[in-house]
Amino acid sequence: MIYLKDFSFKYAEHDNFALRDISLIIPDGCFVGITGAAGSGKSTLTYAMNGIIPHCYPGDFYGSVVVGSLDTVEASLTDISRLVGSVCQDIDSQMVSSVVEDEILYGLENFGVAKDEIPSRVSEALEAMGISDLRSRSIDSLSGGQKQKVALAAIIALKPRILLLDEPTAELDPASSFNVFSLLKNYATEHGMTVVVVEQKIALLADFADKLVIVDDGRIRFDGTPQEVLSHSDELLDIGVNVPRSTSLINRLRKRGLYRGAAVCDVADAVRVCKEVLA
Amino acid sequence: MIEFKNVSASYDDETPVVDGLSFQISDGDFVAFVGTNGAGKSTTMRLVNGLLKPTCGQVLIDGTPTTSLRTSQLAQRVGFLFQNPDRQICCNTVRDELLFGFTAQGVDSAQAIPRVNEMIERFGFDGDAEPFLLNRGTRQLLALASIVVMRPPTIVLDEPTTGLDYRECTKVMDLISELHMAGTTVIMVCHDMEVVGDYAKRVIAMTASHIVADGPTFDVLRNSEVLQRAHLLPPQITDISMKLTEDVPELHQSSIACADTLQQMEDAIASRVEKEVR
Repeated sequence: MIYLKDFSFKYAEHDNFALRDISLIIPDGCFVGITGAAGSGKSTLTYAMNGIIPHCYPGDFYGSVVVGSLDTVEASLTDISRLVGSVCQDIDSQMVSSVVEDEILYGLENFGVAKDEIPSRVSEALEAMGISDLRSRSIDSLSGGQKQKVALAAIIALKPRILLLDEPTAELDPASSFNVFSLLKNYATEHGMTVVVVEQKIALLADFADKLVIVDDGRIRFDGTPQEVLSHSDELLDIGVNVPRSTSLINRLRKRGLYRGAAVCDVADAVRVCKEVLA
Repeated sequence: MIEFKNVSASYDDETPVVDGLSFQISDGDFVAFVGTNGAGKSTTMRLVNGLLKPTCGQVLIDGTPTTSLRTSQLAQRVGFLFQNPDRQICCNTVRDELLFGFTAQGVDSAQAIPRVNEMIERFGFDGDAEPFLLNRGTRQLLALASIVVMRPPTIVLDEPTTGLDYRECTKVMDLISELHMAGTTVIMVCHDMEVVGDYAKRVIAMTASHIVADGPTFDVLRNSEVLQRAHLLPPQITDISMKLTEDVPELHQSSIACADTLQQMEDAIASRVEKEVR
């Protein structure tokens, strides 16, 4: 579980709080999507969950952040890292090796994974991301999307209890993005892994997340199921958060009095509603 | 006009990253390159602006091969926005970044400064701000503005909306659309099919170093075989239209079957319901 209580944070040398009065509970095995406009505090929220705050970014820290059983102020960054696997927004800054296979091995060896277990972990992670053919490639020769898949494979190989991903599909093609989200959902439902994804692709979040958290100006504005959150589509657009077109279409039909049911989150539900309306 | 004649290119002189590409892009076109990761889209963009030269075939800009043009001549004809703005930004202030292209081309400051000021005003930039302290979206806008300020006849954009929020994305794409309306040729790589559907007039789909489709945007985005081969998903409204007509055959003859925008789909459904009521 991830538990934030009355958490506020102000970076050292900044005048304003990046986050204010954040209270949030993320149960084990939950797939959570966090979104919001640029500068709203999404990335700061992930830094609080993986211990980068307060261990690497000094500042004024109020309230508490507990990850698993670790209080992030008291626990060491090493201990938090064994629990939380993170992929950051800037993939190039995360890469430490020059060859794909070495990048996957780096974390496994540093975490002391048993030697006989390593080959299968490497193969499984590469296969899960659909990049087995890139195993011996130089990282410099990869496209942005391929690098992103390598970074994800390197973290997945570590099998952390919590996965924290900052825009993990920003450079992936649409089908690969869909596949990555399917895989993450599977880790959450089948293996009880807690998955927290910061993402601008609202349609993917709406399709896969159990819970959506909308951050606006350093505060949590909405926290609920995608259906609950997306029912506030006008307010979301006002604060710079996009809404899936499927949701917008059904909302427009509701406004025209053609449909009286709940908001929808994905294409399948929108097709179902359209058929009802047309029947 | 930009013309690719049987172009192949490689980074190691062995494995072709693009293989036998042939296409033409007319002046004033708005073309989106879409497709699988590693298909060769970004490489194709580098061939357009001459950062990369073909290992075989020819890339012609207004009839002249890129191999015969100096970098400065290419820069005047093709403005290039990198995938990562941090690879592009190189000055200590926003104002200097916007002036960089003029300075490099030896343009008189009396001519450059009013155009730089116009950009600063339009985007609400702080001219004295340090670019690397700006957030990701603003750095992307600055990188784009530093291209646009030079008014090249063609702009090449490698994933211009990646990592941007909804408002930033709209701001960037509205500017690009405005340039297109004013006659600029726009060539972009984009993974966001909603953006492609909203703005591009033509789509070239690539997979495994080859072109698998080239045509009007929604002809390509409604082609199931192409979507599968190029790892694409159609924009949501197009997807809804395709699924509805597949499940309800009598809708084939209705306007629902060709609705690709929110407004078109809303109107198509409403008019059909009203017709049924009457």
